[in-house]
Amino acid sequence: MIKNRTAQGYLLNTVVIAVLLIGFAFFKGALGGGGEFKLIIVPSIWQCCYLIILAASLNLSLGFLGQLSLGHCGFMAVGAYAAALLSLAAERAGVFEDKSGTAFLLVLAGCIIAAGILAAIVGLLVGIPALRLKGDYLAIITLGFGMIIVNIINNLPFAGQEGLALGSASASLYKNGLGFGTALKVTYIWVAIAVTLVCLVMMFMFVRSKYGRAIRAIRDDEIAASASGINTSYYKTFTFAYSAFFAGVAGALYACANATLSTSSFAFANGGILNSTFVVVMVVLGGMGSLTGSIVAAVIMFLVNYQIKNGVWVQHLPAWLQNIFSFPMLVYAVILIIVIMFRPKGIFGSYELSLRNFFSDIKLQRQNRLAQKLESKEALRNG
Amino acid sequence: MRKLLSLLLVLALAFSLVACAGGTAPAATEAPAADAAATEAPAEATGEGITLGVISPNTGALAVYGAAVTTAVDLAVSEINASGGILGQQVTVINTDDQFDPAETLNAFNSLVSQGVGLIVGSVTSGCTSAITSAANEEGVVLLTPSATADSITTANDYVFRACYADSFQGAIAAYYAKEAGYADVGVVYCAADTYSKGLYDSFAAAAATYGLNIKAVESTASLDVQDYTNQFASMASSGVQFVYAPYYYDVIGPYIVTQARAAGYTGIIMGADGYDGTPDYVVEGADLTAFNNVYWTNHYDPTDTDPMVQSFVAAYQAMFNSTPNAISALAYDAVYMYKLAIEKAGSADPAAVRDALADPSTTFSGVTGTFAFNSETGTPSKGAVILSFASDGTSVTTKLVDVIKELK
Repeated sequence: MIKNRTAQGYLLNTVVIAVLLIGFAFFKGALGGGGEFKLIIVPSIWQCCYLIILAASLNLSLGFLGQLSLGHCGFMAVGAYAAALLSLAAERAGVFEDKSGTAFLLVLAGCIIAAGILAAIVGLLVGIPALRLKGDYLAIITLGFGMIIVNIINNLPFAGQEGLALGSASASLYKNGLGFGTALKVTYIWVAIAVTLVCLVMMFMFVRSKYGRAIRAIRDDEIAASASGINTSYYKTFTFAYSAFFAGVAGALYACANATLSTSSFAFANGGILNSTFVVVMVVLGGMGSLTGSIVAAVIMFLVNYQIKNGVWVQHLPAWLQNIFSFPMLVYAVILIIVIMFRPKGIFGSYELSLRNFFSDIKLQRQNRLAQKLESKEALRNG
Repeated sequence: MRKLLSLLLVLALAFSLVACAGGTAPAATEAPAADAAATEAPAEATGEGITLGVISPNTGALAVYGAAVTTAVDLAVSEINASGGILGQQVTVINTDDQFDPAETLNAFNSLVSQGVGLIVGSVTSGCTSAITSAANEEGVVLLTPSATADSITTANDYVFRACYADSFQGAIAAYYAKEAGYADVGVVYCAADTYSKGLYDSFAAAAATYGLNIKAVESTASLDVQDYTNQFASMASSGVQFVYAPYYYDVIGPYIVTQARAAGYTGIIMGADGYDGTPDYVVEGADLTAFNNVYWTNHYDPTDTDPMVQSFVAAYQAMFNSTPNAISALAYDAVYMYKLAIEKAGSADPAAVRDALADPSTTFSGVTGTFAFNSETGTPSKGAVILSFASDGTSVTTKLVDVIKELK
């Protein structure tokens, strides 16, 4: 029996993830890797993966550091374009021929890491001036930076319309570079899962480290934190860049999953689920300061968006409900209003779901609630 | 009790929002109505019956186009079903929404294919359609886009066709018109970030070189939702050109571009493309609408065309939806009938057979937007265009037909 509680937790998490992956492999085998599995489940997993990374990375700066950033999709765009262009360049240089083999995997890994690093550098450049501001002003300036990044990409001769977003070029990302078609998405599903797991582990380690404690102190009271000897501007800028790094990685996965890039997808006014405001919504919905909350919220928002638009079951609903569902944005708004009304802290608050402590946490919460009830009853009787 | 009350309030709010959306945006409410009508019939993808998938932007910035497509497809399908269907089989439609976003377009496409749909009408815009052309080829699904005009959409794509002409033709018509009207110096204002706008600019510039026009001034905007064009048109005015090519969509033409261009001192011709369709519904009340005089644009068809086919389509559409169909509607209506012709010719609704029938140059299709056959290499029809202009007496903007161009000289 392992006595160390941390080691117990690691072991439990590893076992559960392994069981899930084995279960997935069986599931894949049972369905034969065709039809719905190939067309719906696998693309959904890819999209969930990059949304999870994106939401969790924004949580670092919004939830743990307490700085509202409305330009997170800009960093994602930087990552997506960097990864796509690098992979196209690598293919042109003859590093890999078709999308298989060790050379391709190495290029893919290189592209993903480079996308993250480039996004982090941009994040650093944005963060140094932006983080001198607070609150609403910071929100506005990051919003502006997000738009600037997207516009710059638009007008780069090798990345904007001339480079990637046109039909033929997007088809070329489908055939060349790191874009995955429907069949390849099934083959390389492990890439998405592995990247997501690595990113989440890195983020968990960050928030539990000295850095995580420092930024939480800054969030709770910046003056007290700096009085205690925390270099606030260093920690703020570092966290901002660190969170941009993961947004860049999410962008690289986006380029893989969709095999087409268009800057309008990352623009602030994008009509779909992927825009900077929506990522903020995911973080708030999941709970600011809870990475597991962001994971759950990203998956929920994706499923809601996907199902009300493409779910087969929608066709069997009464007509009036279908009419409401044909305005997906309305449904998200209602969900958000309901959650914020009844759980202002978000689904998880700042609580981290932990497999090890799951049952003891539930027990503790029930005891707390009972105690509260007793207390209020007592107060009623007395007063 | 408090919780129940607030829940009720939320629901009431939701319903009032739906009601408001229905009241203020007449075009947007047509889409769900069409959805409901289409899904009343059982949507069986296998066995008896033919299923058409439709991908269109039913919500988002270009919702008007989504409504135009879903209503026209609805009309065509109900006509076909009333006259006995295709090969004796009834046609059903599954509508999906792409929200004018490439990733959502791919989701909608995958969802349709997993339901067994092999024939798809969509998507409306070039940017969204280019996200699914390769996937359509990989899955062996026929994709017939009503209105994606970017040249790159159908190049070397076996399963992708379009009902409209390509940008290289549309931009050339504008240049041709400028030459015919006697303008030697022209200017361009376009959006560098959009497949459609940039594609049209490129083709206009290429044709201008052929026709010996001098492009004297070029200005660009960074995105399609920019709301201020004063600087661009002030620069046009100062360069002295009297003809400006401005390929944008209706949602900025109506409220911003034309009025701001006149305010900036530019008085010459503003020429556009099929994205101008729908502009009269988007002009700002109270603005000086005489600004819309001298605005020209190229389009696929005109509802006032006296051709009997056009007139019967316009009458049927008006009877069903109580509004005049725009060009996107006409193209979507034609797309459904193109599928009908191809399925009848192929003798089955199997995607590969339909593809071969469509690509066969001897399949001549005659519809609302003209008589044409597909170029078997590019999947783009060879067809003509109309040139329209806006006319305004100061209180409202109307459209009038200027010229019909069958081919370029």
